[in-house]
Amino acid sequence: MRDGGVSVGVGAAGHLAVSGATKRFGAALVLDDLSIAVAKGEFVSLLGPSGCGKTTLLRCVAGLLRPDAGRILVGGADITTLPAHRRNVGVVFQNYALFPHLTVAENIGFGLRAQGVAKREAAPRIAEALRLVRMEAHADKAITALSGGQQQRVAVARALVVRPSLLLLDEPFSALDRKLRETMQVELKQLLREVGITAIFVTHDQEEALVVSDRIAVMNAGRIEQLADPAALYGRPSSLYVLDFVGQSTRLSGRVVETASNEIAIDTALGRIWAPGSFLRGSPVIVAVRPEAVTLGSAQDGAANHITARVAEISFLGSRTQLHLDLVEPDRGVVELPRLPDGIAPGASVPLSFRVADAMVFPAP
Amino acid sequence: MSATALTAPPRRPDGLTLLVLPALAFLGVVFLLPLLLLLWSSIRGPGGFSLNGYARVLGDAYYLQVMLQSLQLGLITTGGALLLGYPAAFALARARGYAQVVLFALIFLPLTVSIIVKSFGWGIVLRRDGILNWAMENLGLIERPVRMIFTEGALYAGMINVFLPFMVLPIFSVVRMMDTRLPDAAATLGASPWFRFTRVTLPLSLPGVVAGVSITFSLAVSAYVTPSLLMGDRFMTMSMVMAKAFLNLRDWQLGAAMATVLLAVAITVVVGAAWLQKRLATPRGS
Repeated sequence: MRDGGVSVGVGAAGHLAVSGATKRFGAALVLDDLSIAVAKGEFVSLLGPSGCGKTTLLRCVAGLLRPDAGRILVGGADITTLPAHRRNVGVVFQNYALFPHLTVAENIGFGLRAQGVAKREAAPRIAEALRLVRMEAHADKAITALSGGQQQRVAVARALVVRPSLLLLDEPFSALDRKLRETMQVELKQLLREVGITAIFVTHDQEEALVVSDRIAVMNAGRIEQLADPAALYGRPSSLYVLDFVGQSTRLSGRVVETASNEIAIDTALGRIWAPGSFLRGSPVIVAVRPEAVTLGSAQDGAANHITARVAEISFLGSRTQLHLDLVEPDRGVVELPRLPDGIAPGASVPLSFRVADAMVFPAP
Repeated sequence: MSATALTAPPRRPDGLTLLVLPALAFLGVVFLLPLLLLLWSSIRGPGGFSLNGYARVLGDAYYLQVMLQSLQLGLITTGGALLLGYPAAFALARARGYAQVVLFALIFLPLTVSIIVKSFGWGIVLRRDGILNWAMENLGLIERPVRMIFTEGALYAGMINVFLPFMVLPIFSVVRMMDTRLPDAAATLGASPWFRFTRVTLPLSLPGVVAGVSITFSLAVSAYVTPSLLMGDRFMTMSMVMAKAFLNLRDWQLGAAMATVLLAVAITVVVGAAWLQKRLATPRGS
């Protein structure tokens, strides 16, 4: 384990277990002694910005890259040195990588043919896969005649028909427009749950990760910053990096001025804030709170933090309204309200409050 | 119906026609006109209309032998260039940075060297007291110099050297555009390297192969300079017979008939290749 309390499920006997994976491209360290364990039937997202190593990790698990060090186990068997075609690890590629010279049915049947499955056994399996992704009507179509959503379904069916022990999905929704993406996320999650497969999604889209995953591994510079279920990741980020990468928040820098049992008081640009945690008095820290944890007005039951801030900008988002607070960098503030009360306009000073338990404290970088 | 009106707008001369007009006019004067004159010459004997030229070209054992030899030269050159050029095109397409620049230079620099210079170069390397014989003798591989220049082996080597870039370039341009994740996808589906090559890479590279083969074959079958310089009269090609007929024998009808046959061969190859290209480019399925 590294500093910052990174909890990674190593040791827990996972269906997929990666331990100490390291990969360099020239001078760049892309995977840095990375370990992760994924349970059977679990959906895990690898979430991070481009260049964080998430696709490299995926390619190592698929057998398309070999790590410089470390081991990869699937179902207890060491597959680290096994070539991709002997691993039985399915991949849905970004933009799908469907074979343009084959029809839909031929694409889906490719893996069965490659593995020497007899025609009379392959035909019903292809039909079943087509039915599974609701593409029966398109079996003989050319790949180029399909829409983006249909292509994705074919890619999923092609990967699933060979019954892989593990399914890897590399940014599977990035080629779809927003509306379709949301539909396909739910559809694919249901489908994979139905099949009962273990799946790993690679994505840079935190909303997507929150929707499709049982657990999310936030990656940074070749390491896993935090591996947790979506609610824990959002509610209790282990570092500022995770806090910023997943969701929005109000962030105030300050200094610890008082310590009590498991609670500390921090002086910030918006006044004194109480938060759970144990830091030495005088420590420079950053205190953060999620937008929906803040309510308008000071009438909240005890142990609450009360601050007053000036509204810089108001964004109406339909189901909710965001207030952006007027703060000086690196401080920033965002508050979400179910509805905007009358009389609040940019420039107005508003009283805000939030529970002590909702405040999160991180050591200042 | 309004739908038909939408799909078929009224045609009127557009910019495209104007853009291609100068090229068409140029080709009409320097290519089409001489071609018609050539066809005319091939059916004009001393006493008016006559198919005597074709009768001689297609009936005479010697000329048939020449045609067979030309086809053989074309086929062997094309086959050799394909065997060497196909992997080279992949290397070129997959290479990055300096490696690609160097490979590019190695394959395409020979194009910039005049064929005459190249032929004399081959002479220096291949002749009885040439570099190759000298090296092999000193290495103890041979007792006495081997005759290499003016042999068919030397001719094929020279032809492949000249025409290799015409094979590599079309294959390279297709392979370069090929999605490298397709073989990866095949691998994750359990396809062995051989299965990946025969079912994914090869079929997708075929348009480039067809283009390369048709260009190389058309050029090699009508080759004149390289066989003349490397073999002289020992190996007659259709083009050499044509030149002889026009320049030495002053037998225009024979030369024109031979030229027409050669043209027919070339057109067959080019049209066949174009048809194959179109078929390969059309994705399967509805």
